[in-house]
This record gives sequence, structure tokens and C-alpha cells, in this order.
Amino acid sequence: MTDNRKLIGLAVFLLAVFVVVPWLIAVTGRKDFYYTLTSVALLSIASAGVWMTFYIGRINMGQGAFALMGAYVAAILITQYGVSFWWTIPLSGLFCVLASLVIGLPILRLRGVYFAMVSLVLTEVTRLLSLALPITGGAKGITNIPLPGAISLFGITLVPDFATLENPRIAFYYVAVTLMVLAFAAMYRLVNSRIGHICMSLQQNEELASSIGVNIVHLRLIAFGISSFLGGVSGSVFAVVTQSVYPSSFTVTDSVNFMLNCFLGGLAYVFGPMLGTLTLYFGWNLLFETGEFQLLIYSTAMIVLMLILPNGLLSLGENRRKG
Amino acid sequence: MEQVIANGLYLGTQYALIALGLTLIFGLMNVLNFAHGQMYVLGGFVTYTIYGQLGLPFPVAVLASGITLAVIGGLMERYLFRTVIRRSHREESTMLLAAATAFFFDAVILLIFGEKQRGVPKIVKGVFNHFGVILPYDRIVVAVIAGLMILAFILFMKYTRTGRAMRALAQDRVAAQLMGIKVDRYTMIGFALGAMLAGVVGGLLVSITGVNSGIGGPISVKAFLMIMIGGAGVAGGAIAGGFILGMMESVGLTVLREYGDVTYLVIFGALMVFLAIRPNGLMGKPWG
Amino acid sequence: MINRRFALKSAMLGTISAMALVMGSSFSAYAANDKLKIGFVGVTSGPAAAWGTSNVRSMQTLAAWWNEKGGVKIGDKTYDIEIVTFDDQKDPKRAVEGMEKMAQEGIHYVVGPNVDDGAAAVRPVAEKNNIIYFPYAFPKELYTAPASNAVLGMIANYQSGPAIYKYLMENKGVKKVAFLAANESDPLSQRDGGVAAAKALGLEVVAQNDTYQNDTRDFTPVLTPIVALSPDLLVLSGVAPANAPLIIRAARELGYEGLISTETAQDAKVLEEGAGELANGFISVGGASTPEIASDTMKEFVDRYTKMFGEYNDESNTKVYALQYIIDTLKANPAAIESVDEYKKTMDSFSAANPYLKGDAKLSYVGTTSFGQKRQLAVPMVVNEYKDGAFQTLFVGTVD
Repeated sequence: MTDNRKLIGLAVFLLAVFVVVPWLIAVTGRKDFYYTLTSVALLSIASAGVWMTFYIGRINMGQGAFALMGAYVAAILITQYGVSFWWTIPLSGLFCVLASLVIGLPILRLRGVYFAMVSLVLTEVTRLLSLALPITGGAKGITNIPLPGAISLFGITLVPDFATLENPRIAFYYVAVTLMVLAFAAMYRLVNSRIGHICMSLQQNEELASSIGVNIVHLRLIAFGISSFLGGVSGSVFAVVTQSVYPSSFTVTDSVNFMLNCFLGGLAYVFGPMLGTLTLYFGWNLLFETGEFQLLIYSTAMIVLMLILPNGLLSLGENRRKG
Repeated sequence: MEQVIANGLYLGTQYALIALGLTLIFGLMNVLNFAHGQMYVLGGFVTYTIYGQLGLPFPVAVLASGITLAVIGGLMERYLFRTVIRRSHREESTMLLAAATAFFFDAVILLIFGEKQRGVPKIVKGVFNHFGVILPYDRIVVAVIAGLMILAFILFMKYTRTGRAMRALAQDRVAAQLMGIKVDRYTMIGFALGAMLAGVVGGLLVSITGVNSGIGGPISVKAFLMIMIGGAGVAGGAIAGGFILGMMESVGLTVLREYGDVTYLVIFGALMVFLAIRPNGLMGKPWG
Repeated sequence: MINRRFALKSAMLGTISAMALVMGSSFSAYAANDKLKIGFVGVTSGPAAAWGTSNVRSMQTLAAWWNEKGGVKIGDKTYDIEIVTFDDQKDPKRAVEGMEKMAQEGIHYVVGPNVDDGAAAVRPVAEKNNIIYFPYAFPKELYTAPASNAVLGMIANYQSGPAIYKYLMENKGVKKVAFLAANESDPLSQRDGGVAAAKALGLEVVAQNDTYQNDTRDFTPVLTPIVALSPDLLVLSGVAPANAPLIIRAARELGYEGLISTETAQDAKVLEEGAGELANGFISVGGASTPEIASDTMKEFVDRYTKMFGEYNDESNTKVYALQYIIDTLKANPAAIESVDEYKKTMDSFSAANPYLKGDAKLSYVGTTSFGQKRQLAVPMVVNEYKDGAFQTLFVGTVD
């Protein structure tokens, strides 16, 4: 693809999420889609993190743990220390990076299913911790988290106080989508940088990469740290959108779903997690009309998709180009 | 304390048998079968229907569970996993397929058998109560059958032609193919066998813990834990992992009960530390 | 290869369009009366599916029954009741999603969610969109001011627990109590409430920290240390219907001889299959279908439910009430169909006959003692004892 086509693609995408989608919602009156799409955007940020660990050849089923951590950090900072929501986004992310360094150092040595399983256990450990620690409010969780306040620079209000808005859902949609665009732009940049190419070599053969002088321990930690940062960011915004957080906010099911999103979109494509999340989450929602057959139709569609496109949805374009 | 150890051993035999089927499929195809727990549940419901509802003898019901699942497993391998493995670039992609089949089974089971917890009449009445150990007879019977099945499985893998072929496959797929082993055929048999084991355990345990449509997922996760402790892809690892987890739960729940909510925190924490020290479990294949 | 791919693709397209057709046709149903939509957001899949399913099916049974009789007359209009359901998979994020869907459908009255975290998570959405919802969850903040849109659909454990413990102290000589709960939000909160109530009554609490993972299938290891303490009463706080028979059976087989009780509703059939005669004497809180107190309407409801879904669930004894309350309150004040403020006004004075109980029992909103405002359905607090496949009424209490 030439640079021009990439730019056009980007412009079309930005136009779609920032203008066309809100316009379509306004025309059709489906206001509930704001929350749905906000969820999709946030979950796809967390999924992007999981994709990053796939990129270094690790199956990560622990993203739910970091999303939960992020959610709690944001909730605690906002409700107990009065920190502004806007600061808690990066702070939650950084907290998760620190946590991921401590946890990652020993467990990143594991590979394949062992890493997958340990990360899965990590999710459950985080849930149990949030039930047991005094600061998290235990079983009752943290509720009544206030809506985000205003941002002003030199006396000019850039972002209004969400509580004063007629429909904060729209504002949250823009926040989530902006974060999603930033996250994926950063991922795209990273994957196409030198570090990205080295990561790719980790995915194929760690010993070989190490023998040509790549510090694989550092690289793995960096990738895992980025992954956890995205998980934390996603969780922190989610806590504020739903104005509450509980030990059950992100569970093993979510961890598995983040991973499935990556698979469905396609592991070889940076934007795979975004499309995967949209398809899985939105698909489930659209099927809500089918009542008790919802899960049956959903799972059948997944199996069929997998049979037709085992390398993910985005491999569709590739096949066509080849054949 | 005797009771605690007896509990652990008894749990261990159950767990080991659950883990065996999962590890077999993993060893042969590198597929982490998310639907393992759902297969267990399906086996449980087959036994529930035949023994609990139709009133046929229990062994017949368990046998039927095994056969049903073997057929389902074989079909799944032939028409789903084989296609996806052949056409995907990264073998992890099968995880999505496995998860999708798990959801599919969940949906079908919920629609057919309903949302309620189900149970069957006890197969043997009475309770063993000597030497400070209390164990109901039906648990002993199930544990003995499970133990015998584990033994039979090991012997089968060691001494029969099919078993040897499957072990060769698990060790080195390409080499096995070059030696003239029909890879496709034995992979299918292996998958069917793994599914059958899940179905049989489900059938056996329905006589003790009953079955309900929602427990498939949690059972899968528990089975993952076991094969991870013991080492994935190795029969001995699954058995060891099953017993270790059973013992850990039994001892942990007794020793740590004062600390309440942290019991499982400690168990899971210990697991993570253990794996950090031994990245391939007790005896797993290094490539995991 | 191209042919094959083409075939697969067209097969997929075909499936999707077939699905669309089926979905489309199910909406273009007959329409004589106006539709009145009532929502449900709760869990109908996964390990806790029994909770939400008994809710949904109670609602669907009642709606079908009323519609068959020509609809429900509210004010001078007759409506057909349509139940819109959303499965939140016990995930608070999805529960919010479900409530947004209900708002989108223009629904003002929603039954559910079934668990604490879901019920608390949907609160901002419900308040913003003028939805009154009827959770089966116990956190007091949901029902005390400034919250005003949630109405507790059943008896809370902090209401029934003390009554049960007191009864057992006085009639069965219970002195030592042990608590056992799953390590999840609802059961743990209920356990804490139960422990406090037991201590307030002067009972000795011998075990209050024992927990289990909700996916536990064999409870022998969990129960071994508790049985060794030989309490007179074992309280299973917030126990899931699927786990209750397993716990009872394991405890009895370990030689436990005391009483076992819980403050949530259970199903007799599940207990019978899972624990058989070992479950005899198990105490739980149910609605109103024990033969002593069930009216003919209740019996017909059970019949219709059984015909529609193959098997009755005793949890529906409690869950039949929410929809009845909603419709009866709307009948009392038709303006409430469009305005939840009217509904809230009506709640303070509402009273109607309770069709499910023998005698002249009344439906009314209660909760003044617990919440300081009327935000609870007056469901008869029937404390049951399980005996040989059925529940027997131990005593009937009330909440104010």
C-alpha cells in the first residue's frame, strides 16, 4: 500500500467513527448504541494489549486482571483521593505497568499453554484479591463514582463537565473512540518500527533472536508492559463509564474474550483486535432479539467463521488478493 | 487428618481422569480443548437421561456416555479441527474454534436439558466409617472405577498398536508420519478417545455431584490447572497434576480455613510460584 | 478452491438471510391490542442460569395467560403484555448494556438483575432513563434514599435471617452456628449480614470465614473442618440452587447431624435429585406454593408454567410476584404507564388482593423499616422445610 492510500484509509476511518457513526445514531434514534460502541472501543483497547503479547508469541489470558486493576486504581483515586478522572487514565495504566513488571519477570519465562494458564490464574487471583483487600471495598465494590469533570486550559473549557451534559454517553463515546484511535495508532507505529521487527523475530524463534544479540528479557517485559498499560486504561475508563467497579467487573470470561477478539480479527493484523471486538461484542448484542437461541446462533456463527477464515476476519482481503 | 488425606486422594482420582482426556488431545494436536468441560457435562446428561430418567443400569449409562462423546469427538476432529489446523497459519487459532464449540455445546445443553442442577439416585448406599475416615461407599466405588480406568488407559497407551502410534505422534508428528503412521487416522482416534474420557468421567460423577448445564467452563479451567501442574501433553503429568490439585484443595481448605477468603488466593499463588520455578510443570514437554 | 470458497460463502450468506427472515417474521405477529412491554435483565445462561430463567419463565407464563384471556385492561385501554428479555451473563458491564436496551425500547419497568453487582451497576442508567427496576439483590443502598428507582423483589436475607435464627433458637434449641459462603460478592455480603444477625441474637458463631469457589463440585473437603466443629446450625449464605444439594449431601455423609438452612429460594426437585432423603429438614425461604397456603390461581399458574416449559421451578413461587405487582400498580394508576413518578406516588398507598395466597392477603409495597421508604414488594416470607420431595411451611412471616 502506498502512503497516500494509507492516509486516505485513516481519514475515512476517522470520519466514520467521529462523524458518520454519531450521525447514523442520531438518524436512527438508536441511542443505546452509544454505550455498546463505547464498550467495543474500550474492550478493543484491552484486546490490542493481548494482541501485543501474541506478537511476541505469548497467549495472554490475563488481561482481565489488568483491566480490573486499572478499574480499581481509577475508582480508588477518584473516590478516595479526589483525583481528576483525566489523570487517572494514565495513572491506572502506569500502575498496571508496574504490576506487570513484577509479575512478568518470573512468568514471561513460560511459554505456550503454560503462560496462557498462569495468566488465566492471574485473573482469578486479582478477583480474589479485590474481594479480600480492605481498600477495594470487598464484595460491595465501589459505586457512585462521579462523572468526569471539565478540562480547561487558560480559562477556556476544552471538555465540559460530564455531569452537566444532557447525554454523557455521547461524550464517553468520543473519549473511548479517541483513546482507541490513539492506542491503535501507537500500536501501528510500534509494529512497523525496529522494535516491532525484533518482536516479530521473538514470535518465531526466541533462541535465535537471543543469539544475535537481542535482549529478549527486556523486550518481553516491554511488550507485556505495553499490553498491561492498555488493559489498565481500558479498565479505568470502564469504571467511570459504568460509575462502579466490582470484583466481578472483569473476570476469567473477559480474559478469554479479549483473547478470542484477537483470534477472530486475525493475529497477523494490527487492527485485528478492533474488528474482532466489534464483531464478537456487537454481534452478541444484535442477537439479543433471538432470546433463548442467542448463544446457539452466536456460537454457530463463530464456528462457521472459523471454518471459512481460520486466520481471522482480516485475512479475507489477503485471500482475495492472492487468488 | 486421615480424613483430609482421604478427601485429597478421592478428589485426585476424579481430577486425574478429567485431566487425562484433555492432555491426550493436547499432546496429539496441540489443541487446548476449551470444550472439555462441556463434553464432561454432556456425558453427565447422557448418564442422567439413561440411568436417572429411563432407569437402565448405571454401567450401561456410563458406557453410552462414553460412546456418545467418542462419536462427537471424532466428528469434531474430522470436520472442524482438521480443517482449521490445515488452513491456519498459527496453530493457536484452534483456541477460538475450541471456545466456539464450547459455547455451542453450552447453548445446546441449556436448550435440551434446562437450567436446573440434576442428580440421579445413589448407585450404592451406605457410608464407610472406620479408622477416623468417613467415605460414602458410592465415592469409593467411583474412585476405584476411576483408578482402574486410569490404569487401563496407561496400559492401552503402552502396549497396543494404537496406543503406541499415538505416543509416537505426540512425540514427533513429522517423524511419525515418515515412519508410515496414518497421522490423520490416529489423530481422530485420539480426539475421540479424549472426548470419550471426558464423557465417562461426567457419567461416573453424575452419581455423586450431579450435573448442571453451566459448569462446563469452570470444569475446563480446573482441568487446565491440573495439566499445567503436571506438565501438558503427558499422561503421567495429568495424573500427577490431578492428585496434586486434589490434595492441595483438601489440605488447603482445612489448614487455611481460619483465613477465610484467602484460601484459594494462597492455592493459586502457590501455583504461580511453582510454575515460575518449573516452567514446564512437573514433567511436561519443553515446547509446551 | 474458488468454487469451494464460493460455495461456503453463499452458504453463509444463505444462513444469515434465513436468520434474518426468521427474526423478521417473529416480529410481525398478530396485533389486536396495544403492546405493553415489560423488560427483564438478568442471568439466563451459565452456572447461575436457574435464577434468571425462573424469572423469565414466570413472566412469560403470566403474560401468555393474560394475553390468552384477551389482554390486560389498564385504564380504558386493553394491552397485550410483551416480555423483552436480556441475558446479562451475570456480568455487570452487560447488565448496563441490557438496561440501555430497555431504555431504547421505551420500557419503564424492568425485572432484574439477579445479583448485587449487576443491580448496583444499572442504577445510573435506570435513574437517567426513568426506569423502575425490581432487582433480586440485597444491598441496602439500592433502596434507601436518594436511590428511588429500585424495588426489592423478594425478602432480603437481613430480614429473613434473623427471623429464621430466632425461630430455630426458640424451637430447636440452636446455640452454635456455622456460616459457609461462596467467595463471590452476593454470598459474602449475605454471610456478613447473617453473622451480624446471629451475634445480635446471642448465638455462638463457630465458623464465619469458610468459603468455597463457586465451581466446586465436591464439597467434602470444604465441609470436613466445619463438621468437626459440630455446630447446631449450618447456614449456607446465598447458596446457588445448584450447589445446595451437593453441600447438604456432603455434610450429611460426613456425619453432620445439625440443621442446615439458607435465606434464598430453592427448588424441591433439585434437592430431591441431588440429595434425596439427606435433604430432609433443610430450611429455606420460598414464595407461596406450599399446599397449605397456595390459592387456585397459584395452582393454575404452576400448571401453565409446567405446560409451557416442561417443568416447574419452585423459585418461581417468589418470582411470579414482580410482574403481578407491576401490572396491578399500573391498573391502580394508568398514568404510570408513561410516568414512573406517578408509579412512585402510587406505591405509597397501593393495595390489591394477593391472587396467589389463600384467604384475603394483600399486595402492597413495604420496606419502611429496612430502607426508610416503600421500595420492596410484600412477598409472604414463607419459611419452608424440605421433606421427601416437597416443601412444608414452617412459619409465615411478614416484612414492613
